[in-house]
Amino acid sequence: MKRTTIRLAAVFTVVLFLGVYPATAADTIKLGGLYNLTGGMSSIDAPALNGAKLQAKLINAEGGLLGKKLEVVGIDTKTDQKDAATGAKKALAEGVVAGLGYGDTTFVMAAAPLFQQKGVPFVTSGATHPMLPQWVGDYMFMTPFGDDDQSFAIADYSFNKLGAKNVVIWTDNSMDFTKALSKFYKQRMLELGAKVVLEDFFMMGDKDFSAQIARLKNASPKADAVFISAIPNEAGLSVKQIREAGLTLPIVSGDGFDTELVTTVPGDKLANDVYFSTHTYREDTRPEVLAFVKAYEAEYGRPPENAFAALGFDAVGLIADAIKRAGSTDGKALRDALAATKGFKAVTGEITYSRPSGVPVKGVSIISVKNGMYKVEEVWYPQQ
Amino acid sequence: MERSRHRIIFLLAIISGLALVALARSSLNDYFLSLINFIGIYAILSISLNITNGFTGLFSLGHPGFMAIGGYITAILTFPVARKSMFLELPQWVAGIELPFLPALLVGGLCAAIIAVMIGLPVLRLRGHYLAVATMGFIIIVRVLITNWESITRGPLGLNGLAALTNLWWVYPWVVITFYVGWKIKFSSFGRSMLSIREDEMAAACLGVNLFRTRVTALAIGAFFAGIAGGLWAHLVTAITPSAFSLMLAFNIVVMVVVGGSGSVTGSLVAAVIFSVITEFFRPIEEGYGLYGLGEISMAVILIMILILKPGGLFGSREPGFLTVRDVYKLAENPQTTRKEKLR
Repeated sequence: MKRTTIRLAAVFTVVLFLGVYPATAADTIKLGGLYNLTGGMSSIDAPALNGAKLQAKLINAEGGLLGKKLEVVGIDTKTDQKDAATGAKKALAEGVVAGLGYGDTTFVMAAAPLFQQKGVPFVTSGATHPMLPQWVGDYMFMTPFGDDDQSFAIADYSFNKLGAKNVVIWTDNSMDFTKALSKFYKQRMLELGAKVVLEDFFMMGDKDFSAQIARLKNASPKADAVFISAIPNEAGLSVKQIREAGLTLPIVSGDGFDTELVTTVPGDKLANDVYFSTHTYREDTRPEVLAFVKAYEAEYGRPPENAFAALGFDAVGLIADAIKRAGSTDGKALRDALAATKGFKAVTGEITYSRPSGVPVKGVSIISVKNGMYKVEEVWYPQQ
Repeated sequence: MERSRHRIIFLLAIISGLALVALARSSLNDYFLSLINFIGIYAILSISLNITNGFTGLFSLGHPGFMAIGGYITAILTFPVARKSMFLELPQWVAGIELPFLPALLVGGLCAAIIAVMIGLPVLRLRGHYLAVATMGFIIIVRVLITNWESITRGPLGLNGLAALTNLWWVYPWVVITFYVGWKIKFSSFGRSMLSIREDEMAAACLGVNLFRTRVTALAIGAFFAGIAGGLWAHLVTAITPSAFSLMLAFNIVVMVVVGGSGSVTGSLVAAVIFSVITEFFRPIEEGYGLYGLGEISMAVILIMILILKPGGLFGSREPGFLTVRDVYKLAENPQTTRKEKLR
């Protein structure tokens, strides 16, 4: 009895599979979207794939590319480097004309070199390490700005506008992204002539910052601002605890603070005098941004979760723009067209690849949080 | 008679395996090849963990830690000298060496084994969950060390741009070696003492089995192969970061051992194949319909089904009948199952 049930179940499963296996259409231009849709990175990567698919849909609604439909094949790499490498090989075996993906450098480093080897361009939608194009090669492109730019932007702002001459730097020591951010911030502040009074560290997942706060209070000379290099979870918590301890000095950071948690965790009263540099997207009123938010809401029934959704949208936009200009999907021609991108009007700001480092020249928003309200203070541009 | 028959079967299996490797490399695309490579690496991991956890009954979660050690050491040793100085600040004597893949792998494996002995001396005095917790701590120590030892490991960013040295001609022989070692240990007097420790420590000790030494050896052998697997892993992914060697990975390997059957070498191999294939099997559906995570859920369901229908794992402690010589090795089988079968 038991045996028959199992056999029946097995047969049923096989039949189900034969029927359900999706057929792939010819006449499509395929892009491989490598994202961690399950696991720890999914809150960053899943919206990015949604954004990417939305862009493809909009392009197809306007007649597609070179007379063909554009398709973004989403490949889940499970927040696992092993799956990132396998996923890249899968995409390449299926003959994608370009790859895109990831909001974190370590996963790009597992996938992108395989694209480079095969001469297929790879555009990262959210990884921000400024050395990426140099590490991977000339088929690697970045949609976002580099970490150096965002740190320089907030450093300039804290020195020039907030008048911070003595700063304290807190760093999440468990991630490369946060470490790099602090390094570049410190570098710029020292160049500007400010003094780093104290450097303090914590680890991702820490819930209690009282030790760091005590040292921050006793810092001498007195700190004019504290730079916190953190990702969203620690961003909200650290702001809350610093303000609860009665410290009112400005808190500055990078795009790890670009999250609702900065206001919802401390509450509107305590979320005050926080400044961060991020992608020119939040609270922005350029027509591209408004159109994107509207389209995203229409497609998914909710506003874009974060800037990574917009970055995914832009990554596909960049590739589609390059295909149009190249008039072909050949790897070399596409690469050259991508490298020649100039003034592409993306949702997250204009993108031009003119620097030898391969990092786009892109505006960086400085956003202030006052009593729980976000406001764009200025847009910073790197010197050419 | 029986012995030579089963030798021939093994030889035939190995040769047909070689033929399959040649066939796969000439006909399959990179994606399938890398899948097969990962299956092989998981097979090495699960068989070697079976020696520690399955045969000897230690509950070690330390495998990813040993993998990380083996992986990083192999990666640093094979890294071209010219690029080493660009990325890392190594001590002079390390910066100047560049080894071929095989010696680098062996050094990685041996270092993992040596560290296993060092860890084992204090930790193996613990038993059951205490050992599990201690080895969990070991993973954390290794990861924190790698994350912060930036001059050698480049911290959380890891090493990348490693040469893609790993292919089936490397993975397959190592699977065969691991399988062979596992098999030989199981059916040797040393393996019997391991199994006896698992079944009843007190009785084993009374019969003169040196509990402590057997345990440390079991851990070290497992760690050696984990180190090798780590080296193969690093040169297959071509990048290595501390976050890859997580507790999650430890659980995955333990699950393979449990599902295959604690103490069954063949079982570990089969479970490694099943678990690596299933999630990939669901990929086209995930991608075609946007049902991401379906593979993981199905995997969990299959795992629960197996544990309900076959609580001792697919193979229990046994090996499939056609591979074993009857009667001669019967002692090595799980006494509980044999008793049950007699009752039937």
